[in-house]
Amino acid sequence: MIVQLLVTGIALGSMYGLVALGYHITWVTSRTMNFSQGHAVMAGAVVAFAFYVGLGWPLWAAVLATLVILAALGIGLERVAVRPFFRVASPAWLLSTIACGIIAENVAMLTFGKDARAFPSVLTQKPILVGGAGFYAQELLIPVVGLLLMGGVQLFYHRTGYGKQLKAVAYNPEAAGLMGIHIPRAVMCAYGLSALLAGIAGVLLAPVLNVAATMGTIIGLKAFAVAIIGGLNSAPGIMVAGLGYGLVESFVAGYLSTGAREIIGFALVILVLVVRPWGLLGSRPARRV
Amino acid sequence: MTWVAWGCLAAAAGSLPLFTANTYYLYVAASVGLLTIVTSGLNVLVGFTGQMSLGHAGFYAIGAYAAAVLTTRVGWSGWAAILVAILVAALVGAGVAGAALRVTGPYLAMVTIAFGIIVEGILVEWVSVTGGPGGIFNIPKPSLHAFYWVIMGGAAVSLWLVANLRRSAWGRAFLAVKGSDVAAESLGLSAYYVRIMAFTVSAGFAGAAGGLFALLNGYVSPDSFTLQTSILFLLALLFGGEGRVAGPVAGSIALTLLPEFLTSLADFRLILYGGLLMCSIYWLPTGVVGALTRRGDSDRDRDGDSDSDSDRDGNRDRDGDRDSGGAAPLLQVERASLAFGGVAALSEVTLAVPARGIQAVIGPNGAGKTTLLNALSGFYVPDSGGIRLREVPVAGRPPYAIARLGVARTFQTAQVFGDLSVAENVAVGVAGPRLGSVVAALVGAPWTRAAEARLRRRALALLAEAGLTEWVERPADALPAGLRRRLEIVRALARKPRLLLLDEPAAGLAPAEIAELDAYLARLRDTGGPAVVLVEHHMDLVMAVSDHITVLDYGRVIASGTPEAVRTNPAVIEAYLGVSE
Repeated sequence: MIVQLLVTGIALGSMYGLVALGYHITWVTSRTMNFSQGHAVMAGAVVAFAFYVGLGWPLWAAVLATLVILAALGIGLERVAVRPFFRVASPAWLLSTIACGIIAENVAMLTFGKDARAFPSVLTQKPILVGGAGFYAQELLIPVVGLLLMGGVQLFYHRTGYGKQLKAVAYNPEAAGLMGIHIPRAVMCAYGLSALLAGIAGVLLAPVLNVAATMGTIIGLKAFAVAIIGGLNSAPGIMVAGLGYGLVESFVAGYLSTGAREIIGFALVILVLVVRPWGLLGSRPARRV
Repeated sequence: MTWVAWGCLAAAAGSLPLFTANTYYLYVAASVGLLTIVTSGLNVLVGFTGQMSLGHAGFYAIGAYAAAVLTTRVGWSGWAAILVAILVAALVGAGVAGAALRVTGPYLAMVTIAFGIIVEGILVEWVSVTGGPGGIFNIPKPSLHAFYWVIMGGAAVSLWLVANLRRSAWGRAFLAVKGSDVAAESLGLSAYYVRIMAFTVSAGFAGAAGGLFALLNGYVSPDSFTLQTSILFLLALLFGGEGRVAGPVAGSIALTLLPEFLTSLADFRLILYGGLLMCSIYWLPTGVVGALTRRGDSDRDRDGDSDSDSDRDGNRDRDGDRDSGGAAPLLQVERASLAFGGVAALSEVTLAVPARGIQAVIGPNGAGKTTLLNALSGFYVPDSGGIRLREVPVAGRPPYAIARLGVARTFQTAQVFGDLSVAENVAVGVAGPRLGSVVAALVGAPWTRAAEARLRRRALALLAEAGLTEWVERPADALPAGLRRRLEIVRALARKPRLLLLDEPAAGLAPAEIAELDAYLARLRDTGGPAVVLVEHHMDLVMAVSDHITVLDYGRVIASGTPEAVRTNPAVIEAYLGVSE
């Protein structure tokens, strides 16, 4: 039982972390974020399903096409719902991204249908049995890919020239702008990358959870909770918080009930914020006087 | 014009039951009423105070379940149940606000979302009280015809309460915190406390609507209280026009009726909502009501008050307990140091400000002058050293607490409350932290109105003295830059401070305006005004009005003395001109 809960917890937690990293990436470059990040996860799963099952493409092609489409959706979202309100001291971007999310959900409902469908995968056909515990190979693949990607994103930011430029924008947009970094393009890239990560999470989760038009909201909210717990401006904090949240959730569901899972998970968020208002590893934004 | 619109609305709501016995129409109209009640309350939080909540369905649920449980299990009457529903929702609201409002932006959004989800989860899980996923069914249901009047009455009362609140000291405090929480704190308002109150009021309104909802339907179940419901509340408010008393009505009508007209498009419901939200963000930033009334606003500009001079002497009644110059300095800074990430902004600054006169602080750019003002007014806390105001240590106290001890200030970029009129800006300063009871403000109690009239008279008198009479009814945003600075000073003086901190009051002023400022400061000093700490670059002004000058360079005091002594001090000349031996 414990092994099973551990595997599930780490698998889901790494995905929450990955999606949450998407919030972080856009937040640090633009002080905005896609509040419908969860719907991007859903879009990833639905689009992959359409190519792989619907059109019968080979898996690699379907995944590739999905990722391209998701990055494009992220960039499009930035254009339509974020850029017009960039750095305006209003929550307009928050509401406009929510609006895009619920529109996306409805479009998915109309095209994909209202019912959940199973995403076939060789990795979920036979459970692996370890001393009475059963789990799917997919559940082992998920955290491996998830953690590799998180590491990759960190490497990109710390080691590559363009990553460093994006980091500079995060640190001080005005100075970065004066140094010749094209800020609107940096924000656009951040949104593309953010949606891409969510799409990957969607593809990875599709075989484990079922694919449904309504799957996005709760994943997005949990990932958001993770980003807030970890601290929006702290990537390491988010990764730790992601795994932690996944484990807590998995064990609460295993030992108490699935109903208690959401209550305890979100109560934990409020508790963390009461104790550490800007997240476990986050820092308070400087007050401007 | 406005009254005609309200009259038509009331007539429409009142005559509907006369024209139709169709319960469906009455039910839809009652739903508009409920949504109006919720969004009126939400308007206090979002529209007035500028905070966001994505969890108000939780308070709606608390009200609904409180009423449902009390009427079914305890056998209370509907009226009593609704009263308790309001109280419980407001109480929970205050608790949630206490936790939520320490943070802002996305963090605040998260807490409110989490609250909504927790409430929804509890409704499903706590079967013995809430009936679980099935909810509570056998709520005694009054006849729809009778209850229609109750709900419409409730909606009308809600609008009236919010209109009263907007005109009160509380309403101005909400808008002040929205406009500039920093400036609000410098006038003695605790932004945290003001926001908690806004959140509590809005939760109470949601609780009332929830209670009415339970009695209207005769059953409640968790499905009615999801995140989507919270988003719908927000959408109705924004579409109608946040910050305007009539906004919630327009938004509630639109958001309730549109889906009813478009029932054939039920599958496109979310696209409809999303599209509406996008449209209102793009094209109606002030909502339907804002777009319709934009013209009307400019017509009202002219009806300035005529009795503005009647209270000219009112502002001379300064506190009798002012220190009369003498021994102990008003403000004493002792070896205060403050570093930002290794850069010393202030190092061992020692400074004494006497109870009278003008003390200038000058120095090259980046010398730490504004940092010093921020430390004096509580926005920064020195890493070491002390600040004492009339012998009371104040370092580490929040800005509003220091403001309440008699310190007022202005800012380098003038921080006026843009959504408030010029007169209201000054009234915020006159009232300071004395806001009275929020319930009295809601119902517009007679003594609140009397206090209002006094506040306004005094604000108008102060504005007249500063030559701003023709602007009193204009929104502060409409003032030209020079007058904004003047308004900021008037607002700060309205607090009757002991100490006034001015941060570059002459920056960006034309030479004629600087001369006026010069005369104004001199008059202030000569008529027994507060002690002034003046941070300024314009040397002519500084030399003309200062009694004492302190010179900062790289966070250190390099000279201190009379204008004459400082002018000839070699260290000062070197700091300014870069002359070295």
